[in-house]
Amino acid sequence: MEQPFTLTSEVRNNRLIISTSGYVNNLGGEAIAKEFSRHFSSGTKEVIINLAQSKVVNSIGMSFLIEIIEQLQEVNGKLVFTNVDPAVEKMLTIMGLFRFAGKERTVEDALESFSQRK
Amino acid sequence: MLVKDAVTLKITLPKIPDIELVALEGLDRLAHHLGIAEEKIGEARILVTEAIINAFEHSGEKSPPVRVEFTMTTKELVIFVRDYGKGFEPASIEEPDIRTKMESKNKREWGLKVMKSMSDDFRIESSHRGTKITIRKLLS
Repeated sequence: MEQPFTLTSEVRNNRLIISTSGYVNNLGGEAIAKEFSRHFSSGTKEVIINLAQSKVVNSIGMSFLIEIIEQLQEVNGKLVFTNVDPAVEKMLTIMGLFRFAGKERTVEDALESFSQRK
Repeated sequence: MLVKDAVTLKITLPKIPDIELVALEGLDRLAHHLGIAEEKIGEARILVTEAIINAFEHSGEKSPPVRVEFTMTTKELVIFVRDYGKGFEPASIEEPDIRTKMESKNKREWGLKVMKSMSDDFRIESSHRGTKITIRKLLS
C-alpha cells in the first residue's frame, strides 16, 4: 500500500529541491506549499518538486501547487517537476500545470534546465 | 489467449483520512490476480482516488459511508462509487481552468474534470439522496 506522505528538501545553488514520498493528499500538498513558502520568503525563485517516490496523488493535493506556481510567476521564477509517474503526469496535464511549470526526467536534468534559463 | 472472468470487489468505506488507499490496495490485488501490468492501472488508480474523495467531499459529516464497487476484466475496469450525501448539481460546477484558478482563492474542484478526461466513459447522477459515479476505463 502507498505509504503516508513525507518530504525532504535541500537547496543547491539557491535552487530548492523538494522530494516527496508517499501519497500526496491535501495534507501532503499543504506541506509542500509550506516548505516552499519558507524558502520563497528568503528569495528562492527556482524550485524542483521530485515526485519519484509518489505514485499516488490526488487533485486536492495538487491544487496546492497552483499557489506555488502563481507566486513564482510574480517574481519570474519557475517550478519544474521531475520523476513524474505517467499517470500523475497525465493528471497534471489535464489540470494545465505544465502550461506554467516545467517537467524533466530527473533532478539533475531540472538543475541543468535552470542553468540554461539564465 | 486465456481470458479470465470478471472479478468484482465491493467495499464500504467509512470517512477516515486516506481510506481511499484501502480501495487502491483492492484494485492492485484484482489487477495482480488478472495479470494486468502495473503501468496499465496507473490512471485507474487516480480515477478511483478522485471518485472516492469526491464522494466524501459531498457526503457530509453525518452521512453513511461510501460504497465502492470495482468490476475488472483483463480488458476494462468499471468503477462505481455511491455516497448518501445531500448531492449537488454537476452541471453547476464550472469547468476549472488553471489561469482562472491562479487568480482565485479556490484552487480546488478539479476532480470532475480529471475523471471525465481520464476515463473512457463517465456518468454521474446526483440528487438529494446522494451521488452515483460510474466510470469505465479500458485496460488494454
